[in-house]
Amino acid sequence: MSGFSIVETQGIRKEFPNMTAPVIDDVSLTIDAGEIVALMGPSGSGKSTLLNILGCLDGPTAGTYSLGGRDVSTLSARERAWVRLHYIGFIFQSFHLISDHTVLENVTLPLYYAGVDRHERELRARELIERVGLSHRLSHRPSQLSGGEKQRVAIARAVSGQPRLLLADEPTGALDTRTGNEVMDLLLEIHQTRSLTLIIVTHDPEVAEFCHRKIFLRDGKITTARNGHAPSA
Amino acid sequence: MRRARSEIVGRAVRSAVRNPGRTVLTMLGLAIGVGAFLAMVSFGTGARGSVVEQFELLGTRVVYIRTNVNRHDFQGIAKPLTDADAEALRRDAMTVERVVPRITEAYNVKSDYATFPTKVTGTTPEFVDVREWPMLMGGMFDDTDVQQRAKVAVIGTTIVRRLFGASDPVGRTITIGANLPCRIIGVLVSKGEQTTGEDMDEIVLIPETTYEAFFGMPIGYHELILQVPHLGLLETAMAEAVPIMRRTHRLSDNEKDDFRVVSPAQAVRLARFVANIFTGLLVGIATVSLLVGGIGVMNIQLVSVAERTQEIGIRSAIGASPRQILVQFLAEAVVLSFTGSVAGVALGWLASSLVARAMAWSPNLSLLTIVGAAAFGTSVGVAFGYLPARRAAQLEPIEALRHE
Repeated sequence: MSGFSIVETQGIRKEFPNMTAPVIDDVSLTIDAGEIVALMGPSGSGKSTLLNILGCLDGPTAGTYSLGGRDVSTLSARERAWVRLHYIGFIFQSFHLISDHTVLENVTLPLYYAGVDRHERELRARELIERVGLSHRLSHRPSQLSGGEKQRVAIARAVSGQPRLLLADEPTGALDTRTGNEVMDLLLEIHQTRSLTLIIVTHDPEVAEFCHRKIFLRDGKITTARNGHAPSA
Repeated sequence: MRRARSEIVGRAVRSAVRNPGRTVLTMLGLAIGVGAFLAMVSFGTGARGSVVEQFELLGTRVVYIRTNVNRHDFQGIAKPLTDADAEALRRDAMTVERVVPRITEAYNVKSDYATFPTKVTGTTPEFVDVREWPMLMGGMFDDTDVQQRAKVAVIGTTIVRRLFGASDPVGRTITIGANLPCRIIGVLVSKGEQTTGEDMDEIVLIPETTYEAFFGMPIGYHELILQVPHLGLLETAMAEAVPIMRRTHRLSDNEKDDFRVVSPAQAVRLARFVANIFTGLLVGIATVSLLVGGIGVMNIQLVSVAERTQEIGIRSAIGASPRQILVQFLAEAVVLSFTGSVAGVALGWLASSLVARAMAWSPNLSLLTIVGAAAFGTSVGVAFGYLPARRAAQLEPIEALRHE
């Protein structure tokens, strides 16, 4: 889609103190800006750990990771937080909305941490909430929403800070097929209009079919990476 | 920056309002701590004030020289206290302003209506000055009355009530003992009861010369009351009085004093000292209760951090820095501690007013004490809130996210 790579890892390893085998073993991969990539593999294959490293929630034990041309493999906790705030958006299987915050408050949260002033923050959040079709739910709490609605709020929150890399961990895993498809459509639409890079961890072959590329992990190693069919825009 | 700070506080307030159970629990400890602190300070101050006040009824700038005549615990023969002693003290003791002799014995006192067995005191006009005792009606007898052995009396309000009921006693006559009729020329203001239960107003004063003429003074005066110009001279006055008394009593160097020197100021000082210890103890207990309140804040905040681990993970994943998370939890501790302390001030003020009313003390909590207690409570809460906040800030985002 575009020439330069946003994610570039070389020989990434991740070991945990109480485990003998590394969870991620010598993973080198390159993802171009604007790509949609499915990260697949059986449970325990290390896909979540890889996603955490790509999302700067955790650092690799060895190897290098460059995000948008910047080496992020040896950052401090504070610096990783900064990178997450400005470059990365997360979508989780179980939504992870803050339960005592309203829809509006949840969506404005990344902007609050980025120091955007209140007026600007709410303006941008309202626009996004409208985009995900939840304008009538602005001051609802997560507990008052359906699963699909929660995930829409989570998507709005994930992109409110205008990240360049969007990471989704089983985004449809907790939803029924129809709602799942709607959520996927929304993700693809947002990907299209915001020109961001999307990495989706999934078990679901149907979800994977939407992606440009599938990366298979087994025992912490990449087994195959092949192209899927590109979705028609 | 200002707006950002007010927003941090606003968010903390909202978080407190949305979790009322947690909020109330956290505040309760501090509220009780601050309330107890204020109440204790108030009780201590009030109690001390009333103890000291009781002693001050006796007059504080005075030293008593008491006779040892007829005292069982005195070995040897004691000479009586006489006018010669009083004269010598007036003349030679530089730090003594006044010397007032007193003899008090029990007699029946009769009016036209009633008889009342009570104590009758022979003394000089300055008695009411050294005891700082104003007149309610009429006046005190004077030096002329003393010289002329006038048959006049000044009485306390209890005597008035017992012998005259509600009618005006001034100008009426009472009979002391078998045959001493005295005209009443004055009534002393009421001093109420002493802490010992002794009724200060059960008092009949007559000139010491009149007393001696009618009842005799075989063992001399019971005491000489020495007044000094100010409290600081009490010790000097006592040191001065002893050699003068020994001289007039012609005691040789190897003989013990045949009189006793007593000062209520010592008792006042002791009472003050005891009251200070008492206040210190109360404040100590109150401080401990405040610290316990602080530990309560810490516990609840620790539980709150544990309960909200996942929320912290979410915030962290979104991009909140460890510092921002620390600030969030500290802000909550500030809001809870401050509100709790203010509630504590209300509690403490209420408790101290109730007790002050019951004990007839004047309200004694100063603005400084109140503001100080609130500030102290808030700082304790914030100090104890720091540890949980730091724990929250140091959580690993992945671990926190996984936490259910």
